[in-house]
Amino acid sequence: MDIDIRNLHPLEIRLLRHVSPDEPVTADRLIEELTYKVGQCNQAFSWLTAKGFLEETGRTTHTLYELTDLGREQQRLGTPAERILTFVQEQGPATLPEIAEKLHLEKSEVGSAFGLLSKQGSCKIGEGNTVQIASGQLPCEIVAGKALLTRASDGPILETGLSEEERTFLSKNSKKRGSSNTPFRVIEREDVTYSLSKAGYEAKQALEKAHITGEELGEVTPAILASGVWKTSSFRPYSLNVPPARLLPGRKNAYASYLQWVKDKLCALGFEEFDGPLVETEFWNGDALFMPQFHSARDIHDVYYIENPSHTKHIQEPYLSQVAKTHEHGWTTGSRGWGYSFDHEFTRRQVMRSQGTVLSAKQLPTAKVPGKYFGVVRCFRYDQVDATHGADFYQTEGIVLGKDVNLRTLLGLLKMFAEEIAGAEEVKYVPGYFPFTEPSIEVHIKHPQLGWFELGGSGIFRPEVTKALGIDVPVLAWGLGIDRMALMHLGLNDLRDLFTPDIESVRMRRGN
Amino acid sequence: MPKIEVQQRFLYQLLGVELSDEQLERMFPVAKAELDAHDFENEILKIELNDTNRPDLWSAAGIARQLNTYRNKKIPYYDFFSTAEESLDSGERRLIVHESANLVRPYSIGFAVTGKKVDETILLNLIQSQEKICNNYGRKRKTIALGVYRSDLIAYPVHFEGADPDTAHFVPLHMNEDLTLREICAKHPKGLEFGHIVADKPVFPFLYDDNKDVLSFPPVINSARIGAVEVGDENLFFELSGTELDTLLLSASILACDCADMGFKILPVRCQFSQETPFGTEITVPYYFQKPIGCSLQFVRGMLGVDLSDEEIIDSLANMGVYSIIDDDMVYVTVPEYRNDFLHPVDIVEDVMIGYGLDRFSPTMPDDSTVGRITEVEAFARKVKDVMVGLGFQEMIYNYLGSKREYIDNMHVDGSGYIKISNPMSENYEYVRPSIIPSLLESESVSGHAVYPHQIFEVGKVAFLDDSDDSGTVTKNYLGFLASASEMGFNQLNSLVSTLCYYIGKEYSVEERIDPRFIEGRSGTLLYKGTRVGVFGEIHPSVLESWGCSMPTIACEIDLDLLLAQ
Repeated sequence: MDIDIRNLHPLEIRLLRHVSPDEPVTADRLIEELTYKVGQCNQAFSWLTAKGFLEETGRTTHTLYELTDLGREQQRLGTPAERILTFVQEQGPATLPEIAEKLHLEKSEVGSAFGLLSKQGSCKIGEGNTVQIASGQLPCEIVAGKALLTRASDGPILETGLSEEERTFLSKNSKKRGSSNTPFRVIEREDVTYSLSKAGYEAKQALEKAHITGEELGEVTPAILASGVWKTSSFRPYSLNVPPARLLPGRKNAYASYLQWVKDKLCALGFEEFDGPLVETEFWNGDALFMPQFHSARDIHDVYYIENPSHTKHIQEPYLSQVAKTHEHGWTTGSRGWGYSFDHEFTRRQVMRSQGTVLSAKQLPTAKVPGKYFGVVRCFRYDQVDATHGADFYQTEGIVLGKDVNLRTLLGLLKMFAEEIAGAEEVKYVPGYFPFTEPSIEVHIKHPQLGWFELGGSGIFRPEVTKALGIDVPVLAWGLGIDRMALMHLGLNDLRDLFTPDIESVRMRRGN
Repeated sequence: MPKIEVQQRFLYQLLGVELSDEQLERMFPVAKAELDAHDFENEILKIELNDTNRPDLWSAAGIARQLNTYRNKKIPYYDFFSTAEESLDSGERRLIVHESANLVRPYSIGFAVTGKKVDETILLNLIQSQEKICNNYGRKRKTIALGVYRSDLIAYPVHFEGADPDTAHFVPLHMNEDLTLREICAKHPKGLEFGHIVADKPVFPFLYDDNKDVLSFPPVINSARIGAVEVGDENLFFELSGTELDTLLLSASILACDCADMGFKILPVRCQFSQETPFGTEITVPYYFQKPIGCSLQFVRGMLGVDLSDEEIIDSLANMGVYSIIDDDMVYVTVPEYRNDFLHPVDIVEDVMIGYGLDRFSPTMPDDSTVGRITEVEAFARKVKDVMVGLGFQEMIYNYLGSKREYIDNMHVDGSGYIKISNPMSENYEYVRPSIIPSLLESESVSGHAVYPHQIFEVGKVAFLDDSDDSGTVTKNYLGFLASASEMGFNQLNSLVSTLCYYIGKEYSVEERIDPRFIEGRSGTLLYKGTRVGVFGEIHPSVLESWGCSMPTIACEIDLDLLLAQ
């Protein structure tokens, strides 16, 4: 059998087990014999016909009358004619408008009801245009209507079996659909008759054989647990392959998690994290890195300037003087310097940090020897924003200080990054150029997915950088371009997506 | 970083051998060069040069020279350089810099070449050299302007002076009109591009020969006659003007060496200044001004981590085209005429490294043991994030620059205390983020399609003005969170804040707050040990309307640095 009988709903099971082949199955029967509700009948029929267990054998249309909102109100308060008669009997004669007002009825309603009452001689118009009691008897038509209102309040009345008078009354007091200014509404219902199919019969037998009754326990409730009914019943098996409902869990951001992973990795390799402010000075952003003040990367078109305050008040001494002298003539660093006159105004100018190396340099005055430091820091670049350029982005940078560090230990460090952080299979070193390192090395790696690419830049800080900041040992400086790996890790190819505000895309994102 | 185009045949001719792209790429690290692309149809190689301090490499001749020193292990020799001790014969070729030039552009030098007909390729290469030297090295002609002229038409001596911009005049290249210097600045395309360099000076640079025939208005444009070099010319005059003499001399040396490598004979020019220079008042150009530099062998070996022998050091430098001798425990280097990038002995170390071959150094691990750790605020931030995730919030990560509309207008605040960028590239990135709440609301404004409820947060940096710091600004680590759903209000917010603070172990109190971002009476200031550390509240419908949000929204923001510090 294609259909697993264990996945049948109790409504289906009980129906199947109850009926025999060749006997008609109708809603009325289920309501009476299995105490199903109308809705439950419909559910069971639709599921079982879809499965091919029930076949339709015929359908008949019935006309029924059901109460409208107005009908329900009249059933509760009485019909207008009844209420007028009672009112006049209890309160004495009154004009029609007075009656309408007191009983909160429409004047037209009061008018037509009074017409009926006076025609049957129950009331009459007397002195001062007031309504007065005549016979005081309710017209029999109204009595009959009242009986119908009461009957209909238990559920729609079938047209078949009504008397001629009742039928006339109802057709006079009902409209086909929707209307509320009549007490009744006509509805039509189709009664469908089904019978058990061959497959349905097989299912019935299978259910019997498996002792599945449809009386098994469904949802486990505290009441079920408390009553102990579970000790004597069995549990209905659930369909395990239903599509689950969506949950919205609390989650970390996949990109942030990647950056955290990188940080943890670097910590594991003995690096201590540094951090710093977003607003920097030209001093730290360039001068301290021995980039001459006329360097093309220090143009107004390469760095964001702060409008106000445009300059910081002080640059820390003795570093300012030492750096300035180093630029001018090399100071005591062994360099000949850049040979220009250092601009002490320009150096105080405030910019948005444009490179992570700034914080590496800033760490030097307080760094321990030996020492290893790193930062994953936000930088700002004056660039058109596109798939490969963000207005701000993360750089991962760091330094290693030690009496005995040298080119070979730099290569070793890069190899360790390549293997530990990028999972590289092969590493290649190429001479590079950075204003603040000499020698400078670029490291290229063969990534299992990305192929050959540049993992980062590195070098040994120039003595002009380290000595001016009070450090007398060699300092290895490195930066890793982890954005590309982050994109791959997240299955993205646009840098802007790393910082997207779109909640749905962040929710769906996960690392590889 | 400079990128150049090189005609493939021309490069092979300069190299004296045809090399495959693979062979070239294997050698390119010697010149810190990368092969960007090979246009096979036009037979052009596109090459990127990474060293911004080596303008000698920014030409076909320069690259070929460096590759050849490495390939042939031969140091190039040029015989046309004068020195402080010896000036070569310059004949009648003189260039006189008049005193008036000091007011605008104090230095002008030149040299001439002959003996080879300029062809299409040479012309293309000269134009490219001019562009690279003036734009990349000469800061867009500010410190170096280079002109090439038809030497045959020049009556020496050539004169360089500061001229009256309104009376000095000539017919500029690519125009038929005779214009004054000031008119050139206003009308000529090059005037519009480069005129600003001299615009505020009382006099403008002016170069003419002894017959008052005009060569050029440096750094703007050549004349239409002497300044119009064409294919077929055989005698050229190079003139460089600028503000730093050694930069000009180096550029002249590079160009002269390139021309010599291309087959020209170099003719010196005697340049005479009206003021004293570090090299005297008269210099014969090309001029070798570089000084030898020394480095201790111990420093070389220590930096490289390998005990190279004396011979290995000398040979490695020779591979780079650098002549050196060893005396006692020092290596002394004669700086090549076309280079001036030896600022510190460490620059010798790099040339040894490249000349020796980077792949011959074996990696080794630093053996210093150090303790790794994250910052205190990072550790705290992680704790905070864990609680937020447990509360069902999605972590976000946002950019730190934004627009006035996002940070000020939409938030219904006046923006006082916000950090503004004075040279924004676009109005979308004009302010530094002062708060995380606008970032979170931006998410709301673009995420109406995402299933509700929305519960998002970020731990990140904000920055704003603060007098207590020398910089007048402060950068802070903040937590911001926001929740938005059809049923969301102060009660939920209150529970969230209290749960968060319980789990991060910070007991807080609340005071009432009037803040246009929130509904009055439903927003508060969070206090921790008497210090205001955060805000929270129901976002005001007018703010939601500005952002185009249609769901009730609550938000909270807490200063993590303050929580940590107390």
